[in-house]
Amino acid sequence: MITRRDLPGLRITVGCCRALSRLIPLIVFMGIAWSPSLVMAASSLTIEADTVEAEGWQAKAVKLVLAPAQRPALALTSQIKLAKAPAWSSLHAECGQIKLPAGRGAWSCQQGLVTADRIRLPFNLTLDTAPVAGRAALRLDAQVQDAQFSDAAGLHAAEKLHARAQVQARQQAGRWLWDAAITWSGGELFWQPLYMQGQGQTLNAAGTWDAQALQLDRAALQLPGVATVHASGKWSVPERQWQTLHVDVPDVDLAKAYPALLKPMVEQSALGHVEMAGNVALKADWQAGQLQAFQLRLRDVDMEDEQHRFAFYKLNANIPWDYDQPQSVTMDFAGGHLLKVPLAASQLQAEINRYALTAPELRLNILDGALVLSDVSAATLGGQWYWHLRANLTPLDMPELSTALGWPRMAGKVAASIPMVTYNAGTLTTDGVLGFNLFDGSISVNNLGMQTPLGSTPRLHADIEMRNLDLGHLTRTFSFGAIEGKLDGDIQHLELQNWQPVAFDAVLKSSPGKYPRKISQRAVENISALGGAGAAAAIQRSVLRFFDQFNYEKLGLSCRLHADVCTMDGVAQAPQGYVIVKGSGIPAITVMGYNRQVGWSELVSRIRRVTESNVKPVIQ
Amino acid sequence: MKNIIIVFSLMMSMWLSLSPAHAAADLEINTPAISAIKNSMQARHAQLAPFYSSGAVGFSRDGLVAVRDAAAVPLAQRQALNSLVAAENKDRNALYAEIANGNQHPEWEPEIRATFAKRWADKAQGGWWVQDGSGWIKK
Repeated sequence: MITRRDLPGLRITVGCCRALSRLIPLIVFMGIAWSPSLVMAASSLTIEADTVEAEGWQAKAVKLVLAPAQRPALALTSQIKLAKAPAWSSLHAECGQIKLPAGRGAWSCQQGLVTADRIRLPFNLTLDTAPVAGRAALRLDAQVQDAQFSDAAGLHAAEKLHARAQVQARQQAGRWLWDAAITWSGGELFWQPLYMQGQGQTLNAAGTWDAQALQLDRAALQLPGVATVHASGKWSVPERQWQTLHVDVPDVDLAKAYPALLKPMVEQSALGHVEMAGNVALKADWQAGQLQAFQLRLRDVDMEDEQHRFAFYKLNANIPWDYDQPQSVTMDFAGGHLLKVPLAASQLQAEINRYALTAPELRLNILDGALVLSDVSAATLGGQWYWHLRANLTPLDMPELSTALGWPRMAGKVAASIPMVTYNAGTLTTDGVLGFNLFDGSISVNNLGMQTPLGSTPRLHADIEMRNLDLGHLTRTFSFGAIEGKLDGDIQHLELQNWQPVAFDAVLKSSPGKYPRKISQRAVENISALGGAGAAAAIQRSVLRFFDQFNYEKLGLSCRLHADVCTMDGVAQAPQGYVIVKGSGIPAITVMGYNRQVGWSELVSRIRRVTESNVKPVIQ
Repeated sequence: MKNIIIVFSLMMSMWLSLSPAHAAADLEINTPAISAIKNSMQARHAQLAPFYSSGAVGFSRDGLVAVRDAAAVPLAQRQALNSLVAAENKDRNALYAEIANGNQHPEWEPEIRATFAKRWADKAQGGWWVQDGSGWIKK
């Protein structure tokens, strides 16, 4: 409240009625009452104040000129500064025409304009204070046309704004009963992170108001084509927060709501770049400013990540949440994929207890098998996720899976057992050994760890042990030329960055034991190509070119990758090189490697050339 | 006594010259993570360049980019600009950390960031905005 003490430099000049100047201006300034006869008698009224201070803002060089017969009829200029603002800014407000009531009645300010730094607000305003049925009442009709404003950072701004607000209120039993209708007919609004265009959005609301609380009995916000938001609640005036608030959005068209409303909010999360369709319903309750409960229902939702990391089709879900009560979550979908692994129709069920999710078993159907997650427990703490689970992959048809993943077509089945996997704020670790069955052999992965698997620079480290892989399956899969036999491999200290190897110590060699060992002419050529230029010279071409297939005793190749260089070795040492394939029996063949240091990218491109099956053995 | 001091200072200077903190960081180091980040930044550059030119976005003194003047951008594009800037800064932060990691010295990240901040400012085209100690200046 402005008091006389707050207005030390108040100076008033009134056109002709100086005698009244002591009393009236303050009252005028405070806008409490007005004597029309006085104004009519005066040709103009000027009020000046050096400084005006109030809670939250201060003004200086305030000048108000009221001249009903002129244009503008009312003009206010001032320097104004909000408590938080760093500098003063100029404020100018005027009414082109004003209408002042005789007694209580309609006030009007037509062709009004408020301008300040980055604000231009043309408006028309009518305020009717005539009592209704003997009780105090207000009727406000305000319109803004072509308005614009912006904060200094440009993060809250509007342009070409057209809107109209109509508010009615009447006093009853010590409080005000009110209802309001606001229509936003045009223009653009950016309220970071939301951007919206005025398309006839309307807000209708009604309630009561007194010094303690603003009661919202009902409110309906209509967002044409997107949703209608219903709300009710009670805003506590002294506490400045919603004591209770209930929001109900029965039917949201996701295809329209996602880009307009959801995307800006989840832009930085995994859901930030997703195409969505379907319907969503949401109910939420707040108490004392805290979210108390919500229920989210998804109906036939399709979502597809633009970076192809995941997709779900015909997703239906019921996700209730309550601060105090554990709730049961159900979800099912008709299909989709996760990190390119195709998902078949699945049903999931879990329990949410405040910020933690648990499920004894989640079964994700993949092609003809399933990934069964058990002992699932997840929690979010300070915006970070923590979870752990065990998993078991029931046998999957490998040809189908490899085709779906865009890999070379692999034969056989794959199965896996995955021990406890823990995800700790971006880092994934495993306790124990991941076991896979592939190429009739076994692959076990030890010490697996991953950092930010879904981030921009995922990292993985692991030790891999492969035993008794069928070389026939393997070489057919990678179009390498036929080799019969079995292969053992150890890849120690494997480190992948962005799914590319940066370091490992790998040894691949024939498995011990008795089994047929044959290698085709083409495979020999290809292996020679891996050893680099010169390796092919080891083939005793003159005699051996007549044979399609050779016997071998053992084969093997090792590569220690460090700093983009692969240091290679074979199964035995030889003068000037190393032995990759050691022949045996008749016809026998020995393949040598001579280059010990090979650039990794060069080696990868050699393997790619070899496996792209465009290499033909050239026997001279 | 004098000898002890000389020996001590000799040892100290030897230790300091051997200490890895005084080895030069390899800023051009390449790892798959770094090349992935660089590719992602390169792909984004075409989208950011008009905003550098219009002055909406400038190079900040901490080696990142910042929205300098959102008013230079239509309202409808402002959130897209914010996202673009956030994505660019995520990559830049990751790049500095990766280069420090690639040098086996994660603690070098602040120096690497400072060096890059200077590089970005030096490489900025005429008309682009860069932040120095005192504030934004137009090159």
